[in-house]
Amino acid sequence: MTNPEPSEMDIEAPGRPFWRNLSVIWLVPILALVVSLGVAWQSYSGRGELIEISFKDAGGVTAGETTLRYRDVVIGTVETIRFNGDLSKVIVSARVDQSVVPYLDESASFWVVRPQVTTRGISGLSTVLSGVYITGDWDTKIGTAKLRFDGKDVAPLVAPGRKGTRITLRGDDGNILSAGAPIIFKGIEVGRLEEPRLTDSGNSVLVGAFIDAPQDKRLTTATRFWDTSGFTVKFGAQGFALDVKSLSSLLAGGLEFADIYEGGQPIPDGYVYTIYPDEETARKSLANRTISDGINLTIPFDDAISGLAVGAPVRFGGVQVGEVSAILARSGANPDNPTGPVQLVANVVIDPVQMGMNEASGNGEMLDFFAGEVEKGLRAKLATESLFSGALVVDLVRVENPTPATLRRDGQPYPILPSVPSEMSDFTATAEGVLKRINSLPIEELMTQTTELISSVNKIVSSESTQALPDEARAILSNVRTLIADDATQALPGELRAAVADLRAVVTDLRSAGAIESLTSALKNADRIAANVATASDQFPQIVEQIRTLTEKANALKADELVASAQALIDSANKLVDSDSTRALPASLASALDEVQKILVDLREGGAITNVNATLDSARKAADSVASSVDKLPQLTDRLNTLLSRADTVLSAYGERSDFNDETVATLREIRDAAAAVSKLARTIERNPNSLLIGK
Amino acid sequence: MENAGRQTQILTARDAGLVGCRVCAKVHLRGTAKCVRCGSPLRSRDTHSLQHAMAWLFAGLVMYIPANIYPMLLTTTLGQTTENTIIGGVIDLMHHGSYGIAAVVFVASVLIPIGKFIAIIYLALSIERPGSTSPHRRQQLFEVVEFIGRWSMIDVFVVAILSALVQLQALATVNPGIAAISFALSVVFTMLSALSFDSRTIWDSNRAAKA
Repeated sequence: MTNPEPSEMDIEAPGRPFWRNLSVIWLVPILALVVSLGVAWQSYSGRGELIEISFKDAGGVTAGETTLRYRDVVIGTVETIRFNGDLSKVIVSARVDQSVVPYLDESASFWVVRPQVTTRGISGLSTVLSGVYITGDWDTKIGTAKLRFDGKDVAPLVAPGRKGTRITLRGDDGNILSAGAPIIFKGIEVGRLEEPRLTDSGNSVLVGAFIDAPQDKRLTTATRFWDTSGFTVKFGAQGFALDVKSLSSLLAGGLEFADIYEGGQPIPDGYVYTIYPDEETARKSLANRTISDGINLTIPFDDAISGLAVGAPVRFGGVQVGEVSAILARSGANPDNPTGPVQLVANVVIDPVQMGMNEASGNGEMLDFFAGEVEKGLRAKLATESLFSGALVVDLVRVENPTPATLRRDGQPYPILPSVPSEMSDFTATAEGVLKRINSLPIEELMTQTTELISSVNKIVSSESTQALPDEARAILSNVRTLIADDATQALPGELRAAVADLRAVVTDLRSAGAIESLTSALKNADRIAANVATASDQFPQIVEQIRTLTEKANALKADELVASAQALIDSANKLVDSDSTRALPASLASALDEVQKILVDLREGGAITNVNATLDSARKAADSVASSVDKLPQLTDRLNTLLSRADTVLSAYGERSDFNDETVATLREIRDAAAAVSKLARTIERNPNSLLIGK
Repeated sequence: MENAGRQTQILTARDAGLVGCRVCAKVHLRGTAKCVRCGSPLRSRDTHSLQHAMAWLFAGLVMYIPANIYPMLLTTTLGQTTENTIIGGVIDLMHHGSYGIAAVVFVASVLIPIGKFIAIIYLALSIERPGSTSPHRRQQLFEVVEFIGRWSMIDVFVVAILSALVQLQALATVNPGIAAISFALSVVFTMLSALSFDSRTIWDSNRAAKA
């Protein structure tokens, strides 16, 4: 404690520099800082660019969740969703990967991928679970970067940057076309249609299409597109044909194309094609190809040109060489008469290639050609395209002995090609008349009758007798053959010839003998006779009536009675003659009786009564008989008278009444009665022979 | 304790010429280079302690920033990916009504790390300029910091377990985000910071101030 010790010194090392005091552990925070800053910088620099995409609606898009994809790789996320100034659009802000930003140029397009069911399949199914996402697509060229884009409502059918050719198709009707419909080349799908849209005028439908490389090099100016949608039913000579393309094209429509002639020129992007309703039409449309280097001509027509349409073919010798490009009515079409009446004018465009000229040959050469042809008589003429359609075509024809005309190169709007009137108007009318007549034919009725006829024929054919016919026919045929083979028959022609020769000779004779004149007079007489006969014919009914009366009267003559009486007399006489006592009669009586018998026989033979009865049917025969009877009647009467006087003498000689006498007297009385009756008849007939005929 | 601090003069080991092993706590005489028991170097005072602690703390702070900015969890459910930061997760939980869990997460992931930063900075500063707080308090604070530090890892554990368990392909997937690593590093750095802080200096400074 006494000796102060030096205080214990805190000996410290000389002040080391600040950094010498620093521990290496400081590297840790520095490293941490560096790493943190590195991470921060990386995430900042890599967070990408904020782009804005405007959509009509943002269905399903969620801020912070919805991703932005390119080729199905996430390249960004939607950060905010807001409206634009007037609430008309939704603006989606998305941060996209820095690596793709340079490619986001004019070619970029964005659309929201949603589940979609179309005719071509189901797409976007993954978004059912994951939610929608925005897909972007752009070409692979770096362009001027953009940060604002207009989103599409639907996915574009063709990815930007895809190799191929974009074309435009023009059709009359949009319902055959739908977005995404396939374009087929020889059965292989080579492209797709986009959404059809109307032209500004509303006349036709335009639809964009994209043909993939390398098939796009098939497209030339010679290419034609036609519709293959739906199915085709053809019923023709080959039978029934049903043509169905792919199911997709059946539902969504589709187009097919082909080069229809050689030597088409390559086309630029955006070339406009026409859609034809079917392949046939497309192939027919040869001249309808867009005639780029064609020459335009104006054709004034004096005819009505209804039926001529724009696009109607212009034919030269039946081959299509151009088409009608416009139809207008204008005055002053004729340069010689600028104030002339309004004329219908068709502008046509002629394809030099179809005219067999080099496409490169200028308009001048073509016009020279036409001028020369017009000098030689080339004229335009309207013609009907086919028999039944009213469509007209323009025919370039050479007219015989034309009225001189020239190609007016100073015509407006184009050089004027003269026309001649067509002849098809009458034809059309005639054809219409024919059609009308065909229309008015009672086809239905005819058909019914035909059906009936056929059924009748059927019945006949199926009947046994008909089936037996052939045999009979064969028999007849053989008979005929025999007949023909017969010498006589075969001689007939000769005889006929001879007869004809005879006849000719006779005719010659007659002619030479002046028989013609007499024949003529005879004919005249015959005429007169015929006239008389005609008159007589008029009286004929009267004659018939008289005949009937006569018949009745004849019937009423009691001829039966007379004959019966005569028979009775004859029997009596026979009995008398055959009796013993009679044999004893004097010869005079016997002769008298013989006489009587003879008379009776005569009477019977004379057949007056019988004849009268028999000939009542035929007037002439009866008349003849009557006439002959009448001739004999006076004799008969005389004989009867003689007989009577002898009988009287006989009777007076017997004097006394006996059985014989009684019989004889009765007989004689009967004979007398008969004789009286005959006599009366005879007298009557004698007095008026006609009475028998006319009944008076 | 303040009274106690003032009343009793604390005899430190250094004063007593002794040095304790920080690893196995065996007491040696000063000057002994290595612990005879565990072989670890013996130093009465770690002169670089403060520097080390501050370095680690700084590293922890650096890592704590991305831990809060970047997403902790990447939850993919049916193709939809949700990213959750720590605070975002807490707010989500609150929205779903899980206040308890929200509180646990908030405490473990926000309060404790920040509290640790503050505590360590305070302790470091108090060595140079001891305030009114007694060394006992500061020692207690240090012990709390050291003890509680490991619990900050609760969030990292949750993320690790979820990431391992929830890997159901398309249905649901949980992946750790950058924040998970940052946060884990932050916690590790702060723990190292606490570890490298030589708590014996608390007492030295106190005595120095007294003197």
